[in-house]
Amino acid sequence: MSAVQTNIPDQLLEQAQLFVQEGWITNIDALIVEAMRRYLDSHREVIAEQLIREDIDWGLHGQD
Amino acid sequence: MGKTRAFVVADAGPIIHLDELGCLDILYDFEQVSVPEAVWREVGHHRPRTLEAFSALFVRASPRIVSPLVTALTPLYTLHRGEQEALHLCMEFRDSLLLTDDTAARLAAKALGIAAHGTLGLLVRAIRQKTRSRSEVLAVLRAIPTRTTLHIRPSLLAEVITEVDAGTD
Repeated sequence: MSAVQTNIPDQLLEQAQLFVQEGWITNIDALIVEAMRRYLDSHREVIAEQLIREDIDWGLHGQD
Repeated sequence: MGKTRAFVVADAGPIIHLDELGCLDILYDFEQVSVPEAVWREVGHHRPRTLEAFSALFVRASPRIVSPLVTALTPLYTLHRGEQEALHLCMEFRDSLLLTDDTAARLAAKALGIAAHGTLGLLVRAIRQKTRSRSEVLAVLRAIPTRTTLHIRPSLLAEVITEVDAGTD
């Protein structure tokens, strides 16, 4: 695992801590990982299409 | 066109999809393509004779080191065994290239600074490498919905075909 230092708005962090206190999730670390995972999952199709466009650009104009 | 020097590692997707399209030979301009154990088994399950038929190209490989960075990214991107092995292999070499059609694997590769490309990029690259003519590649691109298990939104494929068709040799 890697450690990441980031700035989170106070209100957002307070809301997240409330979720932890109420037992919805183990701790803030787990919540952030879950949030990142959900973000990536929900954007996967958009990202996939962006990667395809990058692929075509590489295919047409790349050097390797 | 000379052989390219990058250390190339393949996930199952491009091998299967290029085989479905009868285009695996476009990979011959790579010196060789390393195939992780888990990927080898997956391809063998879906396309039993493919890897043997291209035995001069594909090399069965196991990572010698386990990268902690890949291990850290595995749960975040929900990487499968084959994708993990492929990324571990890529991490052993500075100038590696990962061939994959999996979005999560490509995102993980990006995070690790590993170049990654998929079936469509490889097909279009074949024009640049002069292993296929533009018209041949266009015909293959048009056949993707009926001849492969590669999923691509039809309107996006149409955009790709238009862009490739507009290129100049």
